[in-house]
Amino acid sequence: MVVNVGDVVLPGECLPEPRSNKGVVILGPGLRRSEDDSKGLTVSRAGVLCHKAPNMYWVEGHAKRYVPCKGDLVVGVVAKKSGDQFKIDIGSAEHASLSAFSFEGATKKQKPDLQVGDVVYAKLVTAHREMEPELVCVNKYFKAANLGPLSNQGFLLNLDSRLIVRLLDVQHPLLAVLAKTCAYEIAIGMNGKVFVMGRTSKDTMHVAEALLAAQHHDNVTT
Amino acid sequence: MEMDSNTDCSMPISNFGNLTRPDGSTIYSQGKSTVIAGVYGPIDVKPQKMLIDRGSVETFFRPKSGLPGVGDRLYETIIRNICETALVSTLYPRSGIQVVIQEMQSGGELISCSVNAACLALLDSGIDMKFLIAAATCCLDQEGYLIVDPTELQQEKAKATFVFVFESSEGRIVASHTTGTFKLEQYEQALDLCKKGSAKIFEYYRKVINGKYNKK
Amino acid sequence: MAKQYKSLHPIKYFRDYLAHDIRPDGRELTKYRPVIINANSVSTAEGSAIAKVGKTTVICGIKAELCQPKTETPTQGFLIPNLELPPLCSSKFKPGPPSDQAQVATKVIADIIENSGCINLQDLCISTEKLAWCLYADLVCLDHDGSIIDACLLALFTALKTVSLPKVEYNAELDSKNLQMDERTPFKLYNVPVSTTFAILDETVLMIDPTAEEENLCTGVVTIVIKDDELCSVLKPGGSPITEEKLVDCIKQSMERAKLLGKLIDTATQETNDEIDK
Repeated sequence: MVVNVGDVVLPGECLPEPRSNKGVVILGPGLRRSEDDSKGLTVSRAGVLCHKAPNMYWVEGHAKRYVPCKGDLVVGVVAKKSGDQFKIDIGSAEHASLSAFSFEGATKKQKPDLQVGDVVYAKLVTAHREMEPELVCVNKYFKAANLGPLSNQGFLLNLDSRLIVRLLDVQHPLLAVLAKTCAYEIAIGMNGKVFVMGRTSKDTMHVAEALLAAQHHDNVTT
Repeated sequence: MEMDSNTDCSMPISNFGNLTRPDGSTIYSQGKSTVIAGVYGPIDVKPQKMLIDRGSVETFFRPKSGLPGVGDRLYETIIRNICETALVSTLYPRSGIQVVIQEMQSGGELISCSVNAACLALLDSGIDMKFLIAAATCCLDQEGYLIVDPTELQQEKAKATFVFVFESSEGRIVASHTTGTFKLEQYEQALDLCKKGSAKIFEYYRKVINGKYNKK
Repeated sequence: MAKQYKSLHPIKYFRDYLAHDIRPDGRELTKYRPVIINANSVSTAEGSAIAKVGKTTVICGIKAELCQPKTETPTQGFLIPNLELPPLCSSKFKPGPPSDQAQVATKVIADIIENSGCINLQDLCISTEKLAWCLYADLVCLDHDGSIIDACLLALFTALKTVSLPKVEYNAELDSKNLQMDERTPFKLYNVPVSTTFAILDETVLMIDPTAEEENLCTGVVTIVIKDDELCSVLKPGGSPITEEKLVDCIKQSMERAKLLGKLIDTATQETNDEIDK
């Protein structure tokens, strides 16, 4: 089966002649190079085939399970503590590791006081399928830059990855509209975990409810 | 020598995402059989089951009542092997993929139903696959007629039953399971009929996936 | 050098051989390993046999017990096969409860017995609802080197052919049984199904009668069971997809082999029966 850009595609279908830039084609998720070269690309996930000029292709489907990707900002829960290492549950196949020294100003004497069950906002520095993912809570200048442990007062919820992507779009109105009615802090992780903290618990619940409702109405906005 | 009976009632029905915990799930009904399938993956696996070069696939088949027996083990192994063939397991090294199938109602062609449900659940989960898979059942009655999509009663009375699983890219045979005795020609005819049957299933997959992505 | 190469790149090593249409053990792709069958190997069992397919060795012993038939099937006796894959036969198996592989193989064997109609369970019934024979066919694999189902079936059916059951005088009113050990009737087999296993590599290369090493490196197996001139099972439990032509080709090859194996079983049992007659 031969498919075109914009079609709903199924695994096993082929895109025979992808547009390349000097012989280079960039493949996103859901596409593989066919074993036999004459067939071009093979689709490996169900979804909509997308193309970005000049040579980028990917399949937009929806997977619930988060697959770690280098550079993603994620929200995770401390699952285990062993010495100077934390194991963080970020919803992927394996727990990610976070060193106690990769926090702003952390030294051998002064380490962050994290307990099992605490929530952190961190950045993935290594994400390779053969290796354990690794997190840090500092930017490249060793500053916290909003990363780090999150307050115990807030609320953690799991949202659909499609809603996450849209919330991160600056033009998406939802967060701005909510800000008009109540004051809140939000940390959105690419892994689908979202941390919300309002000024009062009522505000927190308010925002959480709104986000969960937005998930069910996700077909209206795009 | 073909006889096409009850084709209408055997048009499958399915629904995605009935279960909230699995990464992909489907409730699938075909003929008079219904199963619910859930896929978890990629997930953490026990060190002794971990494979360093590819993901390990595990299948659990739960019968309607009671504990799974030796017969269910055979189904599990067949479905596991089929799923492993269909998945690009090399993309998920050191992790596991679990396929759980719960029988809800059995009215003939249960293996086909389970395989098709597993395929839909895998599609829903967004795990990379090489191709789609579709199973079809057909049985040979005492007079030597071949019946496509048999009912449970027809299956019980049959001289032989055939289950074939095909892949979508080139239509090759992924799995074959038979009961009873038959001639080579009958086997070839059954293969042919099931291939036609599997084409219908592939069409159906396309329909549901189209429906799923055009909704928004 | 070859040894190091083999352990570092097992698949590549294997493919280098296959590129010349020959297998690491020197066989061509369509050549099967020698088969050896010995009937009546265990004197304490009602029937027994050892089958060797290449290095794969399976011993089968059949024990008969008297029991009551099930209420659903009051006129039938039982034949219960059970395959054991002990740690002795391969490093793949660990001690403990039967592995998945053993359970699956046992089920496959039980299915073949049922599908082929090689035995009539009613022959095992002595008195309706009251008394019947229950035959336990215990298969133990001594050396696992591929094509285990083939070896099991050979051992099982050779053993079944040697079974003779003592005559039972049963009095239903008094519920008394009297076994006459001297008056034995041979157990009747209606046909003898034999199987042939193929391994598939790269969706194109087919190897008849694979060794354990080949089975491990290959991406799928097909087991075809033939009885007389009919098929009674074509089992391909997943694995690499193959085309219809290849599958039909397998069936034809196994039909050829089935004739030879059928004769072999006959000869093996004939010889032992002759010895007993003497």
